[in-house]
Amino acid sequence: MKKFKIIAATGCPTGIAHTFMAEEALKQAAAKLGVEIKVETHGQIGVQNELSPEDIKQADGVIVAADKDVGAERFAGKRVLDVPVARGIRDAESLIRALLNGEAPIYREQTAAKTEDELQTGEAASIGRKIYKHLMNGVSHMLPFVVGGGVLIALSFLFGIHSADPEHPSYNAFAELLNKTGAFGFQLMVPILSAYIAASMAKRPGLIVGFIGGMIASTGGAGFLGGIVSGFLAGLIIYGLSYALKKMPQSLEGLKAIFLYPVIGIFLIGAVMFFLVEPMTAINEGMKDFLADFQGANPVILGLIIGCMSAFDMGGPVNKAAYVTGTALLAEGNQYFMAGVSAACITPPLVIAFATLLFRKYFSQQDRNAGLVNFILGATHITEGAIPFAAKKPIPVIPILMIGSSISAILTYSFAVQVPAPHGGFLVLPVVTGAFQWVLSIIIGSLIGAFLYGFYQKRTYEKQKG
Amino acid sequence: MGTTALIKKEHIYLQETLSSQAEAFDRVAQVAYESGAAQTKQAVIHGLAQREAESTTGFIEGFAIPHAKLKDITEASVIIIQNQMGIEWNALDQNPVTFIIALLIPDAEAGSTHLNLLSSVSRMLVHEDARQQLIKASSPDDILNTFSSYIS
Repeated sequence: MKKFKIIAATGCPTGIAHTFMAEEALKQAAAKLGVEIKVETHGQIGVQNELSPEDIKQADGVIVAADKDVGAERFAGKRVLDVPVARGIRDAESLIRALLNGEAPIYREQTAAKTEDELQTGEAASIGRKIYKHLMNGVSHMLPFVVGGGVLIALSFLFGIHSADPEHPSYNAFAELLNKTGAFGFQLMVPILSAYIAASMAKRPGLIVGFIGGMIASTGGAGFLGGIVSGFLAGLIIYGLSYALKKMPQSLEGLKAIFLYPVIGIFLIGAVMFFLVEPMTAINEGMKDFLADFQGANPVILGLIIGCMSAFDMGGPVNKAAYVTGTALLAEGNQYFMAGVSAACITPPLVIAFATLLFRKYFSQQDRNAGLVNFILGATHITEGAIPFAAKKPIPVIPILMIGSSISAILTYSFAVQVPAPHGGFLVLPVVTGAFQWVLSIIIGSLIGAFLYGFYQKRTYEKQKG
Repeated sequence: MGTTALIKKEHIYLQETLSSQAEAFDRVAQVAYESGAAQTKQAVIHGLAQREAESTTGFIEGFAIPHAKLKDITEASVIIIQNQMGIEWNALDQNPVTFIIALLIPDAEAGSTHLNLLSSVSRMLVHEDARQQLIKASSPDDILNTFSSYIS
């Protein structure tokens, strides 16, 4: 009988130890089980023992044991097990057995169609991992836009809260430049998130469709949650199209990429997204009406509602309802209501900032750096700073932020703090009545949120190790 | 180049009494600094800890391969510490670590024989019998012999 042939690619970020331990473990297990194996290593030295197209063609199964990109798209159409490098070291034998038993899913093209089956046969973990990978690709591309845009906007506030408004006496041309430029960063945030989720799923055709979907989500007021939805939808649309166009002759391959995917893809995402963002205005209006009934409610109930609304979608329809109601009441002379809204909007970035500072060990370097920037963004009422963290793990991060914001808002209302400005965060402290109580409320809410988030992160971290 | 050029007898320490990962990093850095393989001690400690924060370098059966690639390291080196007590390392099998093989690589190193040798050290540990021999070793020479019989 012909020997079962396996190919593998291993890699780790440093590329000194684990890449090669996984290689050796796989070879050892292969020898034991009597299968043929070739292992390509992505180490510090570069790619060694590279797999040729012929190797890939002849392989009966593929193992990718890597914590970095090893170019897995080469293996499209093969049975592929995609696992972290540590599993390649520890479970080499069971991985090879799984391939021998034909338990591995076929990579990419047909994956979309197989998703349903896999979910039912207990392969949910690997699907979860894939979804997380796509999401992370979106978030990591979005992060610099949030940081860059946010910091510029925060800087503009230093010239005065209204310094970017040409009509206002405190107008400053440079502040306007900072503010407007930063605002563009924020406008691109949701489209970028959506585009790179889709690109991670479906490469360049996905990117295009994801961008458009993200623009519709963003301008339609669906916020970052809408952007996540549009990103995954865009990826699925391209999966679907590539399946539908499979029968097309090879000679028309070029036409697909430059014409069919963009044209049909953009049309489809537009059709779906316009339908999806349609109710956003209604949700926004509905929440405003809902809120109107509670304006005079006791501090605990009002604080709870405002806190949950503000932290729920951070810039989406629900958050905006709270914010707009706050500014409207401010115009009527009610400065109490806005104080709670501001507290609830300032809290999420501070939750992130405190969590990444107090539990730094459990966060990646990138998260720690972005976490520090959140002190600036939180202090200047730029809630968006928390979005990359919330987008990564909406559950439980959003509920945690809602708890933190609620506590801040409840305390603020209990102390009857008055805030006369709709923006600016701690920069408006001189005009706040009860400034000390206000800051105290926000810090208590933020710290409680930070501890919840920190403990969650610690548990995830330990579970991954275990 | 043979293994002995990379693994020096004076870089092998047996029956040590370290009690924590931090102490182990400190010890490795101290050895590297004193032997002239690293310019500063602090950079090595930091480099090892940073790599550890990404994911554990603890392997199984009490082995760990902490490693770092840094500007401050001037000479590729392997530092081996065998400890009397188990040190908590969050290893793959959750066993405490008693055998530490630290790999230190200069930042400038790329595509060289050193890296190949170092990767062979990692590969060797995957083999059950190699691990057994290292655990049983009672002198630096035993350890050197084990390495040279597995790495050519």
